[in-house]
Amino acid sequence: MSIEVRNISKKFGGFAVINDVSFTAGTGELLALLGPSGSGKTTLLRVIAGLETADAGAVLFHGEDATDAGVRERRVGFVFQHYALFRHMTVFENVAFGLKVRPRKVRPAKAEIAEKVGQLLRLVQLERFAGHFPSQLSGGQRQRVALARALAVEPKVLLLDEPFGALDAKVRRDLRQWLRRLHDELHITSVFVTHDQEEALEVADRVVVMNNGGIEQEGTPDEIYHRPASPFMYEFLGNVNLFHGRVEDGNLHVGALALPVPPDASAGWRNACAYIRPHQFGLSRQRKGSNQFRARVESINQAGPVARLMLVTEWASTLNVEVPNAEFLALALARGEDVFVEPRELKVFPSGGTGGA
Amino acid sequence: MRNGIRRNQALFDPPWARAGILLAVAVFVTLFLVVPLALVFWQALEKGFGEYFAAIADPATLAAVRLTLIAAGVAVPLNLVFGVAAAWAVAKFEFRGKGFLITLIDLPFSVSPVMSGLIFVLLFGAQGWFGPWLAAHDIKVIFAVPGIVLATVFVTFPFVARELIPLMQAQGKDEEEAALTLGASGWQSFWRVTLPNAKWGLLYGVLLCNARAMGEFGAVSVVSGHIRGLTNTMPLHVEILYNEYNFAGAFAVASLLALLAVVTLVAKKAVEWKYAAELKAAKGREGGQ
Amino acid sequence: MKIAKHLVRFISAAAAVVGLVAPVTAQAADFVLLNVSYDPTRELYHEFNQEFIQQWKQKTGQNVLVNQSHAGSGKQARGVVDGLEADVVTLALAYDIDVLVAPGLIPANWQTRLPNNSSPYTSTIVFLVRKGNPKKIKDWNDLVKPGVSVITPNPKTSGGARWNYLAAWGYALDHNNDDAGKAREFVTALFKNVPVLDSGARGSTTTFTKRGIGDVLLAWENEAFLAINELGPGEFEIVAPSESILAEPPVTVVDKVVDKRGTRSIAQAYLEYLYSERGQELAAKYFYRPRLKEVAKKHEKQFPKIDLFTIDEKFGGWNVAQKTHFADGGIFDQIYVPGK
Repeated sequence: MSIEVRNISKKFGGFAVINDVSFTAGTGELLALLGPSGSGKTTLLRVIAGLETADAGAVLFHGEDATDAGVRERRVGFVFQHYALFRHMTVFENVAFGLKVRPRKVRPAKAEIAEKVGQLLRLVQLERFAGHFPSQLSGGQRQRVALARALAVEPKVLLLDEPFGALDAKVRRDLRQWLRRLHDELHITSVFVTHDQEEALEVADRVVVMNNGGIEQEGTPDEIYHRPASPFMYEFLGNVNLFHGRVEDGNLHVGALALPVPPDASAGWRNACAYIRPHQFGLSRQRKGSNQFRARVESINQAGPVARLMLVTEWASTLNVEVPNAEFLALALARGEDVFVEPRELKVFPSGGTGGA
Repeated sequence: MRNGIRRNQALFDPPWARAGILLAVAVFVTLFLVVPLALVFWQALEKGFGEYFAAIADPATLAAVRLTLIAAGVAVPLNLVFGVAAAWAVAKFEFRGKGFLITLIDLPFSVSPVMSGLIFVLLFGAQGWFGPWLAAHDIKVIFAVPGIVLATVFVTFPFVARELIPLMQAQGKDEEEAALTLGASGWQSFWRVTLPNAKWGLLYGVLLCNARAMGEFGAVSVVSGHIRGLTNTMPLHVEILYNEYNFAGAFAVASLLALLAVVTLVAKKAVEWKYAAELKAAKGREGGQ
Repeated sequence: MKIAKHLVRFISAAAAVVGLVAPVTAQAADFVLLNVSYDPTRELYHEFNQEFIQQWKQKTGQNVLVNQSHAGSGKQARGVVDGLEADVVTLALAYDIDVLVAPGLIPANWQTRLPNNSSPYTSTIVFLVRKGNPKKIKDWNDLVKPGVSVITPNPKTSGGARWNYLAAWGYALDHNNDDAGKAREFVTALFKNVPVLDSGARGSTTTFTKRGIGDVLLAWENEAFLAINELGPGEFEIVAPSESILAEPPVTVVDKVVDKRGTRSIAQAYLEYLYSERGQELAAKYFYRPRLKEVAKKHEKQFPKIDLFTIDEKFGGWNVAQKTHFADGGIFDQIYVPGK
């Protein structure tokens, strides 16, 4: 069951929360809607669910227009950030709810419901807690119950609104992997909303990045991380260092540094900015080439899988650089020492303009 | 070590201040609550238990009790339904005129009870708007039981709604939305999700509504007609007995009302206690796994 | 579910109580009369009604139920106008019954339909003081002395209060050569001595006797006697002033109501019974001055001898008096400003 969002727009007051957004989640795909707060992603998810109505555009499930369908008809499973479990019902009753409210004719028998609920609770590994109340469970457990509850009605699609946003870091990490495994098992088309890029990149098949009501970029996690298409993407995903400079005869001049820029793409640019990620630098103690510049080591953080250095360049700007531990140890750098830095990869965007090179 | 002690003291009042405040509260409660209540019972039993029960068993008194029960018996369920509906609309939906509805709900509180009664006289009295029509159809509203019930319904209008609205607003609409996504109809969502969550606020509101319905004097007095044995509620009957120099009788009936007040207070406490216990269990085990 | 269960339980409990009480009030009666009366007549009509019902049953075999409503005379009149379905009204003064003419409830000539201006008994205004009469109150002029606290109901709502006021005014006229200005000063001074105004005669009596407020109560004569008997024979005394006003509390059937309810003949009989010997005896028993000569003679001794003037003599009748003194913006509104 694929989900297609076609030219959806929505305004709150005079403010455009979603601006002509279109994308598709293929059948069985796990898609992440990633973006900062206020990007419109939660609203978009609720529009897909039918909890909000769009001002313009259409929502299609497997090619069929569901835009005018109400929440009930759409048969979407929805998981809320704050669980929204029915506080006065036990875990069992929560999961059974969707089955119990079915119209008489299609309602399964009590025994059948009990079996289904049992299955689901086993799936989320909470069968011991069937008689507990939500208030007696931890956050992670509650969210798993919420998931089981959503799955009970065999939804065509699963929508999750920042499902792990209310949990602490370790639980979040555990649960996101668990969600991925669950998805691999069940293959329900799922869209989940998050502002946590690590989560999106780790769990999703594809990621749609939203900003200010529109789509910045969409692609596999690999694509959007390694081939970001705009300055926003660079800055939003991971860390990045900015080099502001002037473009002249195929070079971006940043201080004394001249970085080559593809001439055709950068025709007509004046001021531009180079985007370089912390791990895209090479360090050496001696000057090795013309593309290097000198910098002083300001601070060193070795607690982690890579060594993180803060350097101050010749032209007094601060750099964040990451080198693998082995390489760092080989260099044996200390605070206050000088080092030569060479950008190995970079992406240049014009300042205040479109396009990139 | 020294710092620790000083910091603790900054958070607690000195013992003399605490004792002083508690004493002031105790005096206030005793003077304004306990003494009058005790006085009512004392005066009622002044002429002995025989007189007391005679006064209560008097046909006019029983009629007054019956009328009070009828008025409350209509007002409370009506305002219960209305209050729940209004609270549900206000808390779970956005619509134009919501502010106006809330103001309307509060109207009976801001209007003097006597005025409330007068409104009905102006509407349904013989010289009122609907007077001629009612007379033509021989329907008696004012100076008859329907008028009393109406006045009671009006003055107890807001109680249930005002208890429920903040409660439901605080509870938000997440659970209702979840219910909808799971396939519940609006009605199912209301009955199975919204109502059970609101049950303590509901009970509380009903208690207050009932207490006021049974004790209302001003509005009912205006629309009553004071026909002995027919159109007097208990509060009105107390006044009548008092005016007939039957002080023991008046206090006897008043003691019934005082009993009602005590019962209401106890029930209210019980509701609060159960609610707090439930909340406490809800705070239960939190934290990561 | 739980809420429904509780609700059902509550309703059945309530129904049980109501059911218990219901039989008490459901009485088999062929006719039901409503007598809308003023404040102090509670005891009189309580006994009178019983006798009338008994007598009517004997005479015609019909069962009658008479319901009573009591409150300040003016308030009751307004109630009847607003739809209180009185078969008969027995109020404190003719003016209050006159207001029923305009809405077509009674004809304009109502007062001529029964003897003695439709007043089966009369009363007057006397003073009730505490035992021993510590403030030595003998007559109206003692009431305006400083330091004397006078209790009277509010003339705006109480019939008795209006008789009080007019009696005081009448006295002042007599002692000041009919000077209306001086009379006004007198009454103003009197009301300055009034600490609290109740809405009905009975309320004032309770204020004076039970709550112990005031040095003297201006009361219906019958109220004063009743108070002494009920509340403490040794505690209060009646002081009869040198002169007072003849109060004629009238009665009438309410034509529109009795015709609609088919109770005209029995309502008429009810009022006529007030004029019968039995009715007059009862009136005297409750300290109203009976009209019937024989009964009056018999009970002469129980009533103090007071010079009585009528409202027609001194004020030109109720209509004029009401307009001048008690209407909105009338003299009472001008002289009595609460709190001053």
